[in-house]
Amino acid sequence: MGTLKETLFLIQKEMLLEWRQKYAISGIFLYVLSTVFIVYMSSQGLQESNLFRNAWNALFWIVILFASVNAITKSFVQENGYRQLYYYTLVNPIAVILSKIVYNTLILLGMSALSYFAFSLFIGNPVRDQQQFFVAILLGSMGFSITLTFISAIASKASNSATLMAILGFPILIPIILTLLRLSSNAIGLMRDTSIDTDISILIAIDLILMGMALILFPYLWRD
Amino acid sequence: MIKKHWWKALAVLIVLYSIIAGMLIPLKPGILQVHPYNLEAGTSPTLIVNTYNTKFEQGDNIRAWISIDSNYAIPARETRMLNNRQLSIDFDLPTFLPFVEKSKSLALVLDEKEHGAFVRPRAINITQNTIDTTRAQSVWTYPPIKDIHRYDKMSFPMRGIIYETIKNTFYHVPLWFGMVLILLGAMIYSIKYLQKADPFADLRVLSYTRIGVLFGILGCVTGSIWAKNTWGTWWTFEEIKLNVSAIALLIYLAYFVLRSSFEDEEKRARISAVYSIFAFVAMVPLLFVIPRMTEASLHPGNGGNPGFGGDDLDNSMRMVFYPAIIGWTLLGVWMANLVYRADVLSYKMMEKELS
Repeated sequence: MGTLKETLFLIQKEMLLEWRQKYAISGIFLYVLSTVFIVYMSSQGLQESNLFRNAWNALFWIVILFASVNAITKSFVQENGYRQLYYYTLVNPIAVILSKIVYNTLILLGMSALSYFAFSLFIGNPVRDQQQFFVAILLGSMGFSITLTFISAIASKASNSATLMAILGFPILIPIILTLLRLSSNAIGLMRDTSIDTDISILIAIDLILMGMALILFPYLWRD
Repeated sequence: MIKKHWWKALAVLIVLYSIIAGMLIPLKPGILQVHPYNLEAGTSPTLIVNTYNTKFEQGDNIRAWISIDSNYAIPARETRMLNNRQLSIDFDLPTFLPFVEKSKSLALVLDEKEHGAFVRPRAINITQNTIDTTRAQSVWTYPPIKDIHRYDKMSFPMRGIIYETIKNTFYHVPLWFGMVLILLGAMIYSIKYLQKADPFADLRVLSYTRIGVLFGILGCVTGSIWAKNTWGTWWTFEEIKLNVSAIALLIYLAYFVLRSSFEDEEKRARISAVYSIFAFVAMVPLLFVIPRMTEASLHPGNGGNPGFGGDDLDNSMRMVFYPAIIGWTLLGVWMANLVYRADVLSYKMMEKELS
């Protein structure tokens, strides 16, 4: 069985697993909704203020960041060591990490779309260039998913994995977040960025490099 | 003995050289202050000029100009030396000046045989009430600036605001270069560990990371002192380079937290090696790409500022700066080696106790 076929099969398995125990995915979606609601409750009168678009941009990505960490932490922790050992006897480790990255990207995309929808509903929608904003969401979800999936693979080996996720993950995510903020503030109209294509290609480059590193390094991680 | 340790002696020599040369070589002469700043066309003002690093003596033939552009300059009527760092210069400003602005900031140029020529851009501001450039050009009798001298002694560039702190280039910048190179070393030993599962390679990674982080902290401290003296603040979150270097340090501090959360040695070594490689790769865009795409930066070479080099890094600076990078990096490697050997000793002692 080729790695690609294995990956597809494992993605299918992830989905099936998620479908059977719906609490995980519904938990994430509820998490997003309640966070957005808290943002809404605590930012009364923000719509009228001059800072609305600045605050919207910052809050949106903070909500996405924390929800992503929450969603992805479980990807390696939830399966116990024996089951992982079973996977590794069956398939190529690259297929394992690749399937998790792809699956988490899908989850993050759904989650980002939901928070975008919830933000628009509760707080308002200042986005002017929808297309550019969706490019930001897409590349951001990929970057978050690659980094956090790999970090969760590292953190799951230690006992205090929840703390480690934040300590290891946040600093590494910063280049991605900074570039995303530029992209989205341009889409919102906060600033005029003349080099938007460069930003997008930088983001793609960072995603690809981290993806390559994750695929190369993961085989050394799983052996226990 | 010498064959094995020559590079340590080299490291010490180069670092000593960079400190001694950096401290002893003076800045070029320059103009610190010109008073008064606002002048009017058609008057005969007397300027008091404070200079820096000059040793004027009675009888020196000091010439002075207010430079308008490469063709037009107003020479001084008389230059008197008040003391070896202060001059009093008389000018006769013509009524008509060859530029169209009502008022313009102009450079003051001084020239003397021993000191060479030196300039202060925007030293004075001339206001003209009647603007008539054609008349100014037709009646202009002054010759352009020529026959100026060169300052031939070994010296560093004199720049406004920075002044003597330009010498921090030899300590602050090489520390960052050293940090990146030493962390690269840590990454290479991580790869070695993953290939061979050698516990000593893991100790190497640990020692290199420790020294790399130490260099990073020292880079922050030297930069902070520099910032206090030039930007007027110890730390500013407006400045992207300060933010990304703080984050780079966080990435590597997390490495120590990660290590401390494992009991099993083999597992700790393997997983922290994996993280070390991933962290280095993630740090590269952080340190080298993000600062370059940000608009606002006070560091040279970033955010549309003139690049690091050109006039600011002239040949005399290069002669100290490039060796300093090599010297500090070698010194860092030596320090990492010492830490490594101490770690190996305690590792062996622990093994002995266990057996």
